[in-house]
Amino acid sequence: MNNEKIRVLLGNVAIARGIIESGCHVVTSYPGTPSSEIIPAVVSFKKELGLETYIEWSTNEKVAFDNALAASLTGKRAAVAMKQVGLNVASDSLMSSAYTGVVGGLVIISCDDPGPHSSQTEQDSRFHAMFAKVPVFDPSTPQEAKQMVKAAFELSEEFQIPVLLRPTIRVSHGKQSVKLLAPERLDRPANFVKDPARWAATPRYRLILHTRLNETLSKIQEKFEKDTRWNYEVAALRNSSLGIITCSASYAAIMDLLEEFGLKGRISLFKVGTPYPLPQTKIAEYVERHDNVLVIEEPDSVIEAQIIDKSKVSGRVTGHVPLQGELTPEVLYEILAKELDELGIARLKMISDTELEKLIENLDLPIRRPTLCAGCPERAAFFAIRKAFPKGIYPSDIGCYTLGLNLGAVDTVLDMGAGITFASGFYQAYNLDGNDIPIIATMGDSTFYHSGTASLLNAVYNNARFILVILDNEITAMTGMQPTPGIGVTADGSEGKSIPLEDLIQGCGIKWMKTVDPYDVAECISLLKEAREYTQKEDGGIAVIIARHPCLIRYPDVCLEKPVKVAITEECNGCMYCVDFFECPALQPDKKANVVRIDRTLCTDCGVCLQVCPRGAIVPFATHKNQEKES
Amino acid sequence: MIKTQIFLAGIGGQGVLFASRLFSELGMKLGLNVLGSETHGMSQRGGSVTAHLKLGDFHSPLIRISAADILYSFAKEETYGSLKFLKRGGACFVNLGDPGGFDPAVLAHLKKKEIVFKAFDAGETASRIGFARSANIVLIGYSVGTGLVPFRYEDIKSALASVSRPKNLGINLKAFDIGVEQGSNA
Repeated sequence: MNNEKIRVLLGNVAIARGIIESGCHVVTSYPGTPSSEIIPAVVSFKKELGLETYIEWSTNEKVAFDNALAASLTGKRAAVAMKQVGLNVASDSLMSSAYTGVVGGLVIISCDDPGPHSSQTEQDSRFHAMFAKVPVFDPSTPQEAKQMVKAAFELSEEFQIPVLLRPTIRVSHGKQSVKLLAPERLDRPANFVKDPARWAATPRYRLILHTRLNETLSKIQEKFEKDTRWNYEVAALRNSSLGIITCSASYAAIMDLLEEFGLKGRISLFKVGTPYPLPQTKIAEYVERHDNVLVIEEPDSVIEAQIIDKSKVSGRVTGHVPLQGELTPEVLYEILAKELDELGIARLKMISDTELEKLIENLDLPIRRPTLCAGCPERAAFFAIRKAFPKGIYPSDIGCYTLGLNLGAVDTVLDMGAGITFASGFYQAYNLDGNDIPIIATMGDSTFYHSGTASLLNAVYNNARFILVILDNEITAMTGMQPTPGIGVTADGSEGKSIPLEDLIQGCGIKWMKTVDPYDVAECISLLKEAREYTQKEDGGIAVIIARHPCLIRYPDVCLEKPVKVAITEECNGCMYCVDFFECPALQPDKKANVVRIDRTLCTDCGVCLQVCPRGAIVPFATHKNQEKES
Repeated sequence: MIKTQIFLAGIGGQGVLFASRLFSELGMKLGLNVLGSETHGMSQRGGSVTAHLKLGDFHSPLIRISAADILYSFAKEETYGSLKFLKRGGACFVNLGDPGGFDPAVLAHLKKKEIVFKAFDAGETASRIGFARSANIVLIGYSVGTGLVPFRYEDIKSALASVSRPKNLGINLKAFDIGVEQGSNA
């Protein structure tokens, strides 16, 4: 074929390509690892191919979901992408949309994070699909993910139902040579056909919709029973007493492992691509033909739970598969080796190198924990907060600034928005006993736009008193520099409307609000104390400080007005105060010499540490002569 | 070159992902299937970054412990944790000025497993040509120069030409050639 090309694509880029090749008109998302690369890739394919796709970074996942769904109601194809915990935020819409159904194809992409590598839970989005009663595709590779996106659009339109695609992190962040096809061009002028019994259904009609949904699901199940593209057996050459039912990235890893065990073609596999609705008849027939069946899937047991006759099945219920954590090739090796040995199936043995592991363990290497970048303005704000209120409570939120944990300036991180709700909740609980303690909540700009306003409105309305510090670095930094409503740039770089934080905060009924550059630690501390006084005044309330300084990674050219090269003098007595309470990666402890040194490759010359050392041993390089303790 | 598994380790900003793109392109040019996995997300500057790359017929993007043919480590302290991925008889190339600075017991163990350990100060060489950030390419060039890896000079050079940004191409090719030269003299 002329327009068939092969490119090595990241799984999320392959998904984006699938969206584009399916002629999708509207794509929405809120960023979150491991899903964040989908939207930028859609933007880039749109530009490369000169398409008219509408793409938006929405303010949160529920908003993203509803916008995509509405587009589908007009007959257009729409996709919405998020991480698995984002689907919690959008789940109200998901549940209801399963009943109302869709018109143009609607594909929901929810990326799971077994491990977890970058999430607060290991939840399984396939359960969400089951819970909502919508079909789910479960890809095992980037190539398959791209094909499944197209199949999901077709299924969605054939049965007028939203369809979920559930890649795990190893699919989203795996890469593979993928075949590119020309995009479909679907000319579909928006045409919303009114049907209140469906789109605005009252409970009486909802029962009818639920009945139809159940009928649809059983038709889809029948279809999946016959469809060998996604659910198929990788048969053994001879009869195999053991059968393995598996899916997603685990399927791929097991295929490689069987080869390493010397068992390629000797053990049969059943690959499930649609865990819900599960092709029950096919699975039952497969289980019937084998003496033992091992079910391997992650992060939870969606397939295993649905298998009706479990008498021959081993998996999580029997303790053969761990209940938590990622199924890495090493974990899968252990699972398979144990099962094969129990059943007396001969295999090649792979020697594990425990000696090397011990040697490395004995080296007592430092653990490289994630940390805020050198020069990060959020570090400066956290240092000031800790210094102003060493005995405060610090509720925080999700973003780079979660790493304020390392500075002891973050006590709680629950989910998006809980920085503020926890602050009001803590206040009310202490206030019941007549106790007044400083509560300093922190939240990033993007998180505030995502879910801060609802929490803040509630806190103001119910007379809570605390300090909220909004860490405004003018970008969604953690997930890869997505724009925010504050800077008013949209997903494809075109101009949107900027909504200043100040307007929103005032709109929430806040009467005390001040802005500070956190690089000025002294000013920040004095403002924090002033804010605390306001929370204690008779006619006071919640005080909001906007700690504003652009992210150093996103805005390297403008983030430093006056770079200050610093040096450490002989006054340094190795007290490690700066290491423990400021935790800048450029301040390196030299334990042998009992001093702190500056790592010049990391130092950004932000100069904030000049305000940190209790002995004044960190000084501007210019004022410091011949005494520098640098090796 | 039929099936090759390459493990790449370093710190954010050292070009681990660029090296992974380079080997992906090499695989494509050789008509091989390419599979791999990368660290994204929480690792920003200063965090550990690894990449798995498998060229040839594989299913999973991840390299299992004791299965990698080649390890490239761009940072000394990231090397220890990555060594477990190397198979018996594999080869590792470490950006390291002083091989004496590496734990002798670990080195002895690698020798027992017939693993070739090559330490080379790619960072210093890259700084010398005025582009410290190309240490990753210097190290890859070095490995090609030693003749211990199954990659052909012309193939890597042509892959490098495809994946480099135009403004970096000249310096990348220079870094590669200097690495090759140092490797063949080693």
